[in-house]
Amino acid sequence: MVTSKLTRRFDQISTHLVLGLFALIAIFPIAYTLMTSFKSQDEVLTRPPTFFPPTWRFDGYNTVFNSDMTRFYLWNSLFNSTLSSTVVVTLASLASYTFSRYRFRGSRALELAILGLMMIPGLTNLVPLYRIASDLGVLRPQGLNANLFISAVYTAGGLPFAIWIIKSFFDSIPIELEEAALIDGCTPVQALIRVVIPLAAPGLMAAFLLMFVDTWNEFLAALVLLNGTARTVTVGLYDFQSSFEIAYHVWTAACIVIMLPVLILFVLLRKRFFEAMLQGALKG
Amino acid sequence: MSNLTLSARAEAVQHSFSGGRKYRWLPLWLLLPSILVLLALQVYPTLYSIYLSTTRVRRGEFMYVGLANFERLLRTPSFIESLRTSLVYSTTYIILTVSLGLMLALLLNRRFKFTGFYLVIIFIPWVISEVVAGTMWRWLFQPTYGLLQSWINLYAPFLGERLYTTSGGALAIVIAAAVWRGLAFTTLLSLGALQTVPQEIIESASLDGASRFQRFFSVILPQIRPTVLVMILLTSIQSINSVGLIFSITRGGPGGATRTAAYYLLQIGWEQGDFGTGAAVSVILFMINITLTIAYLSIIGRRRD
Repeated sequence: MVTSKLTRRFDQISTHLVLGLFALIAIFPIAYTLMTSFKSQDEVLTRPPTFFPPTWRFDGYNTVFNSDMTRFYLWNSLFNSTLSSTVVVTLASLASYTFSRYRFRGSRALELAILGLMMIPGLTNLVPLYRIASDLGVLRPQGLNANLFISAVYTAGGLPFAIWIIKSFFDSIPIELEEAALIDGCTPVQALIRVVIPLAAPGLMAAFLLMFVDTWNEFLAALVLLNGTARTVTVGLYDFQSSFEIAYHVWTAACIVIMLPVLILFVLLRKRFFEAMLQGALKG
Repeated sequence: MSNLTLSARAEAVQHSFSGGRKYRWLPLWLLLPSILVLLALQVYPTLYSIYLSTTRVRRGEFMYVGLANFERLLRTPSFIESLRTSLVYSTTYIILTVSLGLMLALLLNRRFKFTGFYLVIIFIPWVISEVVAGTMWRWLFQPTYGLLQSWINLYAPFLGERLYTTSGGALAIVIAAAVWRGLAFTTLLSLGALQTVPQEIIESASLDGASRFQRFFSVILPQIRPTVLVMILLTSIQSINSVGLIFSITRGGPGGATRTAAYYLLQIGWEQGDFGTGAAVSVILFMINITLTIAYLSIIGRRRD
């Protein structure tokens, strides 16, 4: 190697400069949103705008915490995300186990077909789902619970991806362990529940996490399929537009409240998150 | 290789499963719930969409109209315009996210101090909902009170005043927000791929006197080529179907300047309630997606064998 100490030092500094710049760009809009959320209405409408709030106020948060956002929308989002992630991980574990451990005629084709469904965007199914929802009476307040329906839609949307990542976690578990369990007299179902699932728990957790964040953030289906108090955080955000068009301290406070739960989940469980995304997109 | 041995072992276990007959249909039962859910809420809506695209509602009745919706759509200038906007939006998004993502991954892969810290920070925008991200960007470029707009007025007036209200400016803001959010994804994927490139290959190339650029283009890039292709496909699928950011920043305006085909679908199928035409747009977008998906599957499939 002919790399001198000096070039190495230069490399180090320039790398940190570029990475630091991009980290700053990534964090800047969020930081400014946080700062705006602590301003008052007058300070939001000050020209030229300042980055930090001249005085720290909680007017925005007061409005958000006394609105339908905390009365309904946060709970609806929590309900949808928890329910659909739980169902997705359960169903996907069963299906992935088949794909990981059994080969039968057409199993490979079926696997690819399900992976293909992963690529169908929710967008192109929107019109028919709206029709189905209105046929089932989901859109009427006294009809079928809208959040149950949309959780089912999210479940179907998340299943292919979850099957894909959970299968790759199952593939990495040595099959000898199940063989031993079978010889000890376990049934195949017991082997799955007592041996494979506990070993794959980190992978299941990762799939749950990705699904939870995706559902929490989902906007389009929620916009089309949910009304009134059944709405979720991403759609409910627009309540603040109609009544407070330029009240950006309220909007930004709502943004912070909406992003905080998933942000905390991500920072705490980032390793799992990265692992699952890499498995999902590249391996299998 | 490992897959081959795995499937051979799977067969071995299949034989060793006690209870034999009783568990013969077990794999099917395990698959059934997922298949039913997917048939009901993924496959059926897609077929329903194809059916709706050949109908038109007249006095509350669905009438079969054949391909009339498609013919009319392809003669509608605003739809053609939206396809063109989609093309500009997607191409810019793909080029910027893939190339910047690769660059960041190369830097992160040097593994100096704080690499993990940078990756987490750069990844944060991806975890934020599109509509929340869009609201933040809209606020930054608010024509009168937006912070970034006021900085542009002060330090870079050549970029233009009130960018949000001009057609080029609005499109640029939407693309900037999309790249800001999407960069995390391509950076992570590139980093994952770079870490599979054996360090010895790179070292032997630099011993041969290859410069940094030569090393990247003739040694590293060929090694991670499949991942780059996967990234291009996934980012194109993302950008073609993206609606949340456009909804929250510009609602397709000003004057339709940021109305992509996906946003056109939302407007016509949902806001205007024209199911037939909306479904026709769905089918067109669906075909584009299917083409990209088949390409994606063939790359993933080839790499497995």
